[in-house]
Amino acid sequence: MPNKTVLLIDDEQSFLEPLADALESEGYRVLKARAADEAFDLLETEHIDLVTIDIMLDPGSAFIDDVDSHSTGIHLCEAIKEEWPNIDAFCISVVSDMKIIKKIESLGIRFLRKGETPLRTVLNMLRSRLTGIAYSTERDRKDFKRKP
Amino acid sequence: MSQNELSLEQLKKKVSHLERENAKLKGQIEQVEKERGEYLQNVSHQLVAPLNAIKWHIENLTAGRINVERGKTVLKSVYSQATIAVHLAKNFNLMSNLEADHALKKLKEPLQEIELHRLMVNLANDFQPLAWDRNINIIVDDENFDKRPTVLAMKPLINQVFSNIIENAVKYSDKDTKVIIKGKYLDESDTFLVTISNYGIPLNTDLCKKIFDRGVRSDEAKRKYPAGTGFGLYIAKRIIEIHEGTITAITRNGLTIFEVTLSVRGLKGKARVRA
Repeated sequence: MPNKTVLLIDDEQSFLEPLADALESEGYRVLKARAADEAFDLLETEHIDLVTIDIMLDPGSAFIDDVDSHSTGIHLCEAIKEEWPNIDAFCISVVSDMKIIKKIESLGIRFLRKGETPLRTVLNMLRSRLTGIAYSTERDRKDFKRKP
Repeated sequence: MSQNELSLEQLKKKVSHLERENAKLKGQIEQVEKERGEYLQNVSHQLVAPLNAIKWHIENLTAGRINVERGKTVLKSVYSQATIAVHLAKNFNLMSNLEADHALKKLKEPLQEIELHRLMVNLANDFQPLAWDRNINIIVDDENFDKRPTVLAMKPLINQVFSNIIENAVKYSDKDTKVIIKGKYLDESDTFLVTISNYGIPLNTDLCKKIFDRGVRSDEAKRKYPAGTGFGLYIAKRIIEIHEGTITAITRNGLTIFEVTLSVRGLKGKARVRA
């Protein structure tokens, strides 16, 4: 049973839940934050191995100057890389603006398109990062081809 | 000769004026196209998001990642996401008709007797799974909801009006609060008043008026809930106007209250058509 903790930061419950279910089914401990301030509280108090971050996010009481809907997620990515550089970070968002995606990737954070990336692919990528075993598309295909 | 020179001067001025007008119109067209592009992108995201969430849930179910008990909860969530997708699709269909006056007649449907209490209970049930996400309880206050009379109106449209108001109330409510729905028959005006109240982002006096305008969302709403078109209440207002009713918003003691009145006898001059 993996003994690792994943923090999911997303204000859309509809995406938080299935991703949490998938990770918990593999034995990971999952924490959820629906706003940036909740995420900071958990980052400061819990041992976290991996974090997923949404871009369009409720800032809560953090980043009070953010008015642009994309700013909060970007600021959060920057803050996490700055203050918790040892935590693996993924960005999972619907954002399609290449400038924003490049900005995120320039921070060393892998970007995945929310919803459009199959859950098994997201799960395999996160698992690969958590276990240190290289990600392979073969695993995706096997999952896909598995007979009921 | 002198007259010709003057004419030439006038012509130059006219051309110059027309060029400025042309540039202005070009700018306006570009702005409209930009807004349309943003609108379509927003619409597409809002419609696709619940469908993608459903796909992720189904992947978990088919891959056997969750047990039967959890599966039941997940199916409720899937139902809720499907409800939202249908609700949004109806809104966008209505929006395209409301935007074009020539298409307004497409909205004309037979008037039906509507039991507003029953309608509110059904809508509360539809949106409750979404509301549970933040521990918000939607309450149809039976003791303060007159069961009679029914109102004569275009049912699918009235359904959409109250869907939009309740969805907004849930979306902008604080965690662990209630959305309360009351209904009262007003004898003196022969109208039915429905009030939907929630605790959440307050609206100032100015916003209470503007909130029904096309595309208007408060800064706080945009900050906290980036996804949204600002069309829900605009659609609600247009539909209520078609029914010659009223729709208003007020904020009092931290409570945001939407009030809708509808004539019990339906639109003036329209024959009563029983469905």
